[in-house]
Amino acid sequence: MNSGTGIYFDGTTSARLSVTVDLGPSALRILAADGRLLAEWPYAGLESQSAPDNILRLGLRENKVLARLEIIDPQFATEIDARADSIDRSGAMDRRKRANVIGWSVAATISLLLVAYFGVPALAGRLAPLVPRVIENKLGAAVDAQVRSTLDTRKAGAAFECGNADSERPGRAAINKIIRRLETAAALPAPLLPAVVRRREANAIALPGAHIYVYQGLIDKAESADELAAVIAHEIGHIAHRDGTKSVLQAAGLSFLFGMMLGDFVGGGAVVVAAKTVMQSSYARDVEASADAYGVALMNKAGANGRALGTILTRIGGATEPGMKILMDHPETKARVAAINAITPPRTVTPFLDAAEWAALKKICG
Amino acid sequence: MTSPDITASAGGVRFLGDRKAYWRLLVRGAGLLMLTLGIYRFWLATDMRRFLWSNTQVDGETLEYTGTPIELLLGFLTAIAILIPVYAAFFVAALDLGPLGRWSGLIGFLALFVLGQYAVYRARRYRLTRTIYRGLRFHQGGSAWRYAVCAIFWWTLTILTLGLAYPWKEARLERFKMRNTYYGDLAGRFDGTGLSLFLRGLPMWLLIFIPLAAGVTALIQSFDWKALSDAVAQSGDDVLGRIEGSNPDLAGAIVFAMLATGAAVCIAALLYPAFQAVLLRWWASGLRFGEFEIHSKLRTAQVYGAYVRFLWYSILFAIVAAILSIPVLLLVNVFMGGADASVGKELAGSLLVLIGYVIVALGYSTIYRATVLLSLWRFTAESLELKGIAVLAQVKATGAPSSALGEGLADALNVGGI
Ligand SMILES: [Zn+2]
Repeated sequence: MNSGTGIYFDGTTSARLSVTVDLGPSALRILAADGRLLAEWPYAGLESQSAPDNILRLGLRENKVLARLEIIDPQFATEIDARADSIDRSGAMDRRKRANVIGWSVAATISLLLVAYFGVPALAGRLAPLVPRVIENKLGAAVDAQVRSTLDTRKAGAAFECGNADSERPGRAAINKIIRRLETAAALPAPLLPAVVRRREANAIALPGAHIYVYQGLIDKAESADELAAVIAHEIGHIAHRDGTKSVLQAAGLSFLFGMMLGDFVGGGAVVVAAKTVMQSSYARDVEASADAYGVALMNKAGANGRALGTILTRIGGATEPGMKILMDHPETKARVAAINAITPPRTVTPFLDAAEWAALKKICG
Repeated sequence: MTSPDITASAGGVRFLGDRKAYWRLLVRGAGLLMLTLGIYRFWLATDMRRFLWSNTQVDGETLEYTGTPIELLLGFLTAIAILIPVYAAFFVAALDLGPLGRWSGLIGFLALFVLGQYAVYRARRYRLTRTIYRGLRFHQGGSAWRYAVCAIFWWTLTILTLGLAYPWKEARLERFKMRNTYYGDLAGRFDGTGLSLFLRGLPMWLLIFIPLAAGVTALIQSFDWKALSDAVAQSGDDVLGRIEGSNPDLAGAIVFAMLATGAAVCIAALLYPAFQAVLLRWWASGLRFGEFEIHSKLRTAQVYGAYVRFLWYSILFAIVAAILSIPVLLLVNVFMGGADASVGKELAGSLLVLIGYVIVALGYSTIYRATVLLSLWRFTAESLELKGIAVLAQVKATGAPSSALGEGLADALNVGGI
């Protein structure tokens, strides 16, 4: 069968032309009803276009106009298909291409996860020291305002901070003494901005821009000034390592990687949140371990007892902690204390405060 | 050989697509979406469009979609490259503005909304220039920024009027789009008016807002405003307790308001398909290309039918998912149970839960696409009556394909499109 019928659109007008198609040796010829030659398409340049299942719709590759030839007779369509390698009626070529794409996508996904796990913290670590102090301080002020308003649940305002009332002044002087001694030993580029706040939890936090919050609950749990000092030394570690700025950069990097690249196909939102949470906790475990090491080294440098950090952590955290390990942003307490003791030689030390000063510090929140 | 009778199928709009083939395409797509964490969406979107376009037959000729997944992927990557500096600028500006920083959230939202509308318009241009009919492409002119400004104005008005301005917004924006839409050298326009949509939608609006208004009124009337302001002004902890003490009727009014809101939400959900039918009929009946006119006779019952199908498949899917989840949950319990679960085991357990969640979410979205979206496309197409079809045979080619940046932006900003 070397000839058949088709419908031809020449790509310059929308007129529908019933045509005869002649299959030549290397090209098909499209002839009008009156026998006039409308177009001659080489088989090598033919392209099948999307169409309903029962129609073969052909175009010419790199044609300036969108001329189309439609063949309805299935037998004749098969004849043309047999002559042109580029026509992909069965979809085999397309499937091969797809398989390629899927392979590449899976590879891209894996590399994305690797970048998230290794690349993002490394990049944040490199970038954080490059962030100018001015920006870090502004970031710190913004984070500080936000943290303060979330911590200060009773909206106490100025009274949320301890050590301002007359009866609390001696306690304030005592904690300042601890901080000055640590600050001198640490030789930080910017002065610390410490505050004791009325919160029940035994905790302390460090924010970008050298803010340190010591919770009232931590002072209640501490049995000596050295224990309190050890926790503050750990927080100074976060500030010296610029961990606050790093975690802001890490969060931004993860949001970009997971949120934007992966896009939000249905159900993808949960994947993004879960991946971000697990990644961030995994970064945090390393960060805490190195802040511990810094804190202990700082205590030793200040001529104090580094093991006090292990003592107070054991009291606060206990041996086992509830919750899932992959979501825990601190290493397990047991492992932490072991690591601390391993780097602290037993030695004679100078305590931070005398008994009277320690008693005053215990009453810093009234 | 015999020449097939081409004119037999001419006249009107027909949908030739096979529902099962579309199901296959979507289910395979959902699986690959999961495997590639969503990167496959460019390929799936292209497949879906090819299927819908090429199975829609107008006057005996089917449409053709010539867009490619690679174009969409490149458009998306370009959009990302544009958006990163925008986001970074917002971040720095929010830190730098000080007291103005409080407004940066609102400014950012507005900017992203404008950008989103810009993207919607550009995405429409991409889709139109990839739509071929009888060997000629559609195209779209007009400034996307002007469209975005126009859209933000009308959206604000719609929100301020509690939706009453919605019909005029739709008419305005559709007129903007269609005035700039061309099939070859044949210019489109939109003849639907805001008023006619308003009159058809008003009864539904009233059915929803009367219970809502009743609830709010009851709540306001039950307040003794003076006692309330006294109660709030007193300092101390238990403000809520004092508000309650000063307003004895308040509890009853709150219950009534909650019931009224619940009723309004139920009515809204039940009326939604009817509203969609009204909107689709009004929209399709307003489309014009020169002397070529379209009228839609879409029946409301057809739209309800689509949603009933969706519910039916959803229930079936929920039962199957519930049965299959039992062994998975047992396995998760084995992984996570016990105090000595290691990080690796916990990871495996969480991964199983996450995969289960994604399968369920993708399942529902697939069912929705295969039932509601396909049915709406098909029923709307088949409901169309065409007048002046002869002009479609004498159109000359103009217009060139546009970039897929709009699609990429729309995807990155999550304003639909793909
Ligand atoms: Zn820490």
